[in-house]
Amino acid sequence: MSENASNNAYISVSNISKTFERKGERVKALDDVSFTVDKGNIVCIVGASGCGKSTLLRAIAGLDPVHEGTVTIDGKEVTRPQKTRGVVFQEHRLFPWMTVEKNIGFALGGRSGDEKRDIIKRNIELVGLSGFERSYPKQLSGGMAQRAGIARALANDPDVLLLDEPFGALDTFTKIAMQNELKRIQNQSGTTMIMVTHDIDEAVYLSDKVIVLSSRPGKIKRTVSVDLPVPRNRNSYEFLQIRKLIYDEFFTDETGARIEYEI
Amino acid sequence: MVKKIGYAAEYITLVTAVLVFWVIMDKQGQLNPVIMPPPEKVWNTFVSLVEKGTLRTNLLVSLGRVLNGYLLAAVLGIVLGIFIGLSKHLDRLTGLVIQIVKPIPPIAWIPLVILWFGIGESGKVFLIFLGGFFTILINVVDGIRQTDDKLIEVSKSMETPFLKHIFLVVIPSAAPNIFTGLRTGLSSCWMCVVAAELVSSTTGLGYLIINARQFGQTDKVIIGMLTIGLVGKVMDSLLKLVEKLTIRWN
Repeated sequence: MSENASNNAYISVSNISKTFERKGERVKALDDVSFTVDKGNIVCIVGASGCGKSTLLRAIAGLDPVHEGTVTIDGKEVTRPQKTRGVVFQEHRLFPWMTVEKNIGFALGGRSGDEKRDIIKRNIELVGLSGFERSYPKQLSGGMAQRAGIARALANDPDVLLLDEPFGALDTFTKIAMQNELKRIQNQSGTTMIMVTHDIDEAVYLSDKVIVLSSRPGKIKRTVSVDLPVPRNRNSYEFLQIRKLIYDEFFTDETGARIEYEI
Repeated sequence: MVKKIGYAAEYITLVTAVLVFWVIMDKQGQLNPVIMPPPEKVWNTFVSLVEKGTLRTNLLVSLGRVLNGYLLAAVLGIVLGIFIGLSKHLDRLTGLVIQIVKPIPPIAWIPLVILWFGIGESGKVFLIFLGGFFTILINVVDGIRQTDDKLIEVSKSMETPFLKHIFLVVIPSAAPNIFTGLRTGLSSCWMCVVAAELVSSTTGLGYLIINARQFGQTDKVIIGMLTIGLVGKVMDSLLKLVEKLTIRWN
């Protein structure tokens, strides 16, 4: 059910396959994955643990250049990591020896001091960390550290933001707050985002398009467009309809009966 | 406050106990003064050595040698350690030599050192350097190599220039290991001072000990030993303070 990569798409992922060698055994992690992302959209890739969704994101980031197929962004093929693609990881991955502002300003080389300070200040305000400029990462809570990580990725003003289960380790309350924040940041900055998650609600809440990935090998099962108005109501009928659509891709047994699950 | 006094008391308990034990043994006449001098004799000799300036002179000479050898070991250990830690090729090239040379005690080097450097200062500094160098090198290499892959990836994803990556990511990440190396290296250097001063010295704490031994002056031997121990401890505490000020993020 993969889409054909169209030439006018902003990001186009074409026929990505990846095989790992594990203890002499060849494991196919990704099998011919193709999709496109329009400029300014958020696309979520949803799948169970170990379905290769992080591998896919790493391929788009250019962190894992060994794979079949190509990724192009704005017509240019991705072959290595670049500043123009910000990456937010599951762990905040802040440099422990730098304060929040130093972390955020880390990649702002070649700019004047004033300009740098401006960018840092703006991004700290954007993620609501004012007052914590001089704090070290270990003095921050998990949610705050993750926000600093997002601010660091945004500080370079990337064309594309890639997020690898960024809220996976957070509690529900922080998670929902962070989702709202991300949505707000995206409205403000217009950054194109691709996010990997295993949280179906999160995917429907944030995305313009949800890509459902099967496990072993990771193959696109289904692509679901989410044409709901923003802000989205997590309990509206339409929201739940789309949620159910995706949910049913994962949780059906042979008889077709759905298995109960909790988020 | 009360807690602090308690900690301080704990800190000096063992030292006090040893001193008390020593005094009691002496008072009961259990000590053979040739083997173990009485406390007041050690104290009197100490006072006279301080008054004559002998202790100060010898201490300064040894301190100078240790600082020379140690600084050399620290600079070379850190620089080479960073290169070896970063390059797998360099690691394989140097690995075998380092592993074979490392366990050789500095004292075993003395015959060669005399032939190579003569009996001057440089040979002594070299022996002290040997004592600290490998400890520092190995800790630095370990620290560099343990840089978190995840943080390296972050740095890569931001297209960090090589030198910036080394100085702002790799070295700070290795800093705790580098300090461990610097601290253990320093005490190794002090351990080597006596060996170094075995090489025809007429000055230094090592010389003081060796010379006193020849005259059976156990009191002087003990003073020399304790001086090395105390100065080593003070220098280690200073390094610890520098470490604390440098690694503020922990």
